[in-house]
Amino acid sequence: MTDLRDTILDSMRQVALISDCTLVDDIDDDTVLLQSGLDSLGFAMLVAQLEEEFNVDPFSEMELAVYPRTLGEFVSVYQSALQPSE
Amino acid sequence: MDKSEQTKPLVVVTGAGRGLGLAICKQCLEQGYRVVAISRTLSAELKGLQESNFDDLYFEPFDLIELDDIHHLCKTIIANYGRPYGLINNAAVGFDGVLATMHNSEISSLLNINVQAPILLAKYLSRSMMLNRGGRIINVSSIIASTGFNGLSVYAASKAALEGFTRSLAREVGKANITVNCVAPGYMQTDMTESLQGEKLESVKRRSPLGKLATPDDAAAAVLYLLSQHAKSVTGTVLTVDAGSTA
Repeated sequence: MTDLRDTILDSMRQVALISDCTLVDDIDDDTVLLQSGLDSLGFAMLVAQLEEEFNVDPFSEMELAVYPRTLGEFVSVYQSALQPSE
Repeated sequence: MDKSEQTKPLVVVTGAGRGLGLAICKQCLEQGYRVVAISRTLSAELKGLQESNFDDLYFEPFDLIELDDIHHLCKTIIANYGRPYGLINNAAVGFDGVLATMHNSEISSLLNINVQAPILLAKYLSRSMMLNRGGRIINVSSIIASTGFNGLSVYAASKAALEGFTRSLAREVGKANITVNCVAPGYMQTDMTESLQGEKLESVKRRSPLGKLATPDDAAAAVLYLLSQHAKSVTGTVLTVDAGSTA
């Protein structure tokens, strides 16, 4: 979980750089994504970046359109998608 | 060299087997792009083009009615050939007939192929363009989007939808240096318009200021302009290529 969160945070930093956004300091699990400093296009780029990294886009694979509100929820969505299926 | 490490910009063209799509592929290759040619089947013409451009033209068989598989198609393209620079949404079907007697399944498949498939391709391929901080999406519309034509109401609805999509998407992805435009050809002599024959065809020619129809090569040249760096400041617009028919 920590590794995954670190990878996601790294990707957020990379995307912030290329999308001219500035991330807020002290991002934690309770940080509301839309207040993290990335704009909506930045989040699209983050999902694209993570898809290249993990070869998965959990939001396309969901049955319903549900979007996480906080970083913790965002990490959980990726964690569920990356768990090996039983 | 691995195909995904090539330096020539990669352009994805749908409906590449015939007509305008084939002309776009030819001109892209002539101008130094690599091409992913998407078509249901490998036409003899596309096969010929592939044989003479083995390193730069990659054929991906796909039927765009399979909407649920478009995400996988896009992932495959990116994995095998790299992030695309351009997407040309050219594939379309043009069933004609009176709306009142058109089968619901035909209405539905036309809207899926002409509207939803290009939207999904743009969704998944624009992501790569965002990461590259630049790209081109060109949707092939038709003058029928803004004029009327007896028997093509559903086709017209699909093309008008693409033009609306183009304008709003241009606003959405402009910040990522991606342009989104339409090319709206007039009547061209392709397999798709073969039902337009005889006096009807002569009448269309006669009414155009240039006294002829625009050709697929004319419309492809407009697509190539929008792909080029010369069009870097053009977005959210419709470029009409119709020998003046709608002037």
